[in-house]
Amino acid sequence: MKRYLKWSLLLIIILLLTGCAGKRELNDLALVMAVGIDKGEEENSFKVTAQIARPADARGQTGAPSGQTGEPILTIVGQGESLFDAIRDLSSFTTRNVFWAHNQVIVINEDLAKDGIAQVIDFFTRNPELRMRTWVVITPEKASTLVSTVTGLELIPGEAVNKLFRYGEISNVAPNTQIMDVQAAYLSQSSQPIIARVTLKEVMVSNKKPEKGPTIKQVDLAGAGVFQEDRLVGILKPEETRALMLFTERLQSGVVTTPCTSKPERTISVELRDQMFQVTPHFKGSQISFTAEFDSLAVVVEAGCPFSIDDQEQVTEVEKAVEKKLKKEIETTVNKVQKEYKTDVLELGKVFHNDYPGYWKQVADDWEEVFPTVDIKVSVNVEIKDSVLLWEETNSGKKENSAN
Amino acid sequence: MKVQISNGMFMALIINMIYAKAIGVTQGSMAREVGGDIWISTLIATIQGGVIMFLVIFVIRRMPEGDLIDQSARILGKWFGKFVALITFIFFLAAYGPVMSTFVFHLKDYFLPEAPTLLFILAAFLIGTYAIYFGVEVIARMALIGVFSIIALNILLMLGSLSEFDIRELRPTFQMGFLRTVWASRHHNTDWAMATIMAGIILPMVANKETWGKMGFAGIGYGMVFIIMWPILEAGVLSPETAAQYIVSCMQMARSAQIGYFVHRYEMIMIAFFALSILTQIMMSLLCASVAMQKILGLKDYRKVILPTAIILHAFGYWINFDKNRAVDFLEGWWVYISIGVAVGLPFLILVMGFFFKKKLKKEVVAEEAK
Repeated sequence: MKRYLKWSLLLIIILLLTGCAGKRELNDLALVMAVGIDKGEEENSFKVTAQIARPADARGQTGAPSGQTGEPILTIVGQGESLFDAIRDLSSFTTRNVFWAHNQVIVINEDLAKDGIAQVIDFFTRNPELRMRTWVVITPEKASTLVSTVTGLELIPGEAVNKLFRYGEISNVAPNTQIMDVQAAYLSQSSQPIIARVTLKEVMVSNKKPEKGPTIKQVDLAGAGVFQEDRLVGILKPEETRALMLFTERLQSGVVTTPCTSKPERTISVELRDQMFQVTPHFKGSQISFTAEFDSLAVVVEAGCPFSIDDQEQVTEVEKAVEKKLKKEIETTVNKVQKEYKTDVLELGKVFHNDYPGYWKQVADDWEEVFPTVDIKVSVNVEIKDSVLLWEETNSGKKENSAN
Repeated sequence: MKVQISNGMFMALIINMIYAKAIGVTQGSMAREVGGDIWISTLIATIQGGVIMFLVIFVIRRMPEGDLIDQSARILGKWFGKFVALITFIFFLAAYGPVMSTFVFHLKDYFLPEAPTLLFILAAFLIGTYAIYFGVEVIARMALIGVFSIIALNILLMLGSLSEFDIRELRPTFQMGFLRTVWASRHHNTDWAMATIMAGIILPMVANKETWGKMGFAGIGYGMVFIIMWPILEAGVLSPETAAQYIVSCMQMARSAQIGYFVHRYEMIMIAFFALSILTQIMMSLLCASVAMQKILGLKDYRKVILPTAIILHAFGYWINFDKNRAVDFLEGWWVYISIGVAVGLPFLILVMGFFFKKKLKKEVVAEEAK
């Protein structure tokens, strides 16, 4: 009797604990690499574009494509009253199980974003298959077009956008917005979401017709979308986004180009390193104000006019010029966000809440109205401490000889 | 020979018993009430848990050969003993709801959403009953390994999420007021309640009586160190509002962690390393409930009641977790009152009774030692 019991127990264990429940074989999956969301043809409907990798044709480093279709991706479009509905629609014409765990980017069309993206945030944070570090971008193009545009050296567009963000820290032209950041800002009482903006730009030269110049469109990081709750209310240009990112991210470096004082037609480029940005709130006589202080060490990385770090007078001039330019950049962005868009994407509410929790309770509900009226003072301090390899100015030797 | 476990094993059992639920399900409940102050509520609950643990150890020390049930039987007779055993059984029966919620929500919601709830209940049933058949020593040895996997999980999660950490999310403190922060600690108190009542059952099996107190406090101390990292990271990385949105906020945390470009989505890492902790919860709850059942029925060995006890506990666990609304309502409502009521009330009642019947208890202890 005991023997039978043991064997039947073993059989039940084999059936239950082998981990086969809910299994999905790799070759049964359609791996989504990017997803685009547009407004649907009918009112209040969605159009979801899924970019699916063809593993056989998305060759790796070791071998040539074996799928023989010549296309590393398959782009399909589904429509529905909700995102879930539209995604279900996709499965009616894909031969494999649509699998979202490898999705790299969510592209949202700006027209849809203007109506509100709460449903998009909810869907992509509710679904256990999706990654929370997925990039989220808005675009003025059709999301379906952007999703299917092959960019750079990558065969799969989703992977290309992923790498644009990974290595885009150098250019500082779009914030690194992941779905978890958008969700946190949307749920926050004080801050508003920002989302990176991408466009299609003719920047690639065709190998067959190089004489025509750049004619092939590529995905380009192009600033940021500013939101009021879940609605897109404005756009910041790439040059304005850098200043915004000082408030929301930890930027380590940046580049500022300024005209030479001796030859205004020439420029001098300074790389900012070890940037420090501090926002301090003040509360005096029921008046809220902020000071934003920017400190950075700088390195002269390119000089269109003679420059030597030994010439302290010239160094001070460049420092002042860089400070002036940076201050103007920050003030322009702050002004635009505060006076034009009237939405706190600068996280000033959070900063004020941190330092004045008692007073925050009084203004929290009206922060939307208070934010455009607060005074924000910007101060910038840049110190040039290095000129990379060169000590002497880059001057023509012939001129020097003739001078002698 | 009487089964004995080392003091280190006892400490490991305490840590594992609280960890699995405390890092995620509990933090989600507390975040819904006090936002970024979840780490303060966690600390407050740990202090309260320490006091109750001290009380339990103090009570058991008066008669080290018997657990809480045995001691009550010695003080007020067989029927009072049976009553305390019934209370203990009800405690672990109720505990099984949240324990199964932790187990099912982690696995089903994040890995196998299409698998039926019954599958997870049956898996817990098979593993739990098989393990407790071999006794507390085997579970305690597993718990020792569980401590190492907890350390590994904590280190990995810290590495994967510190880059996104924003200290501003934790400020200002006591946003909802001091009293509400203290009140929110009741959710974590329920985790400590499980550990303290477990201690009340297994302490007589712990080898070195002189160091019970020391090891009990060490277990609480280490437990706090391993747990406190989670509310701090959940608030600082996810934001308090996001942590509050999820039932299992630690899994959301794991889902958001990433080391480099290739090690991301920690759900699998998390499950692998926290499995021993949740299994310890399952096994110890089953074991303690079986011991209570054995003492209600007046049997000599708990093994005879493993099967009926497991069936009752798992049926309850299934009923609770079949409906998510019922599960969360229970763990944030009834379970709080049952667990804290029993964890505070039972040792306190036995303590008071012990004072009233001091002489009788002393006589019983002398007679026990003479045996």
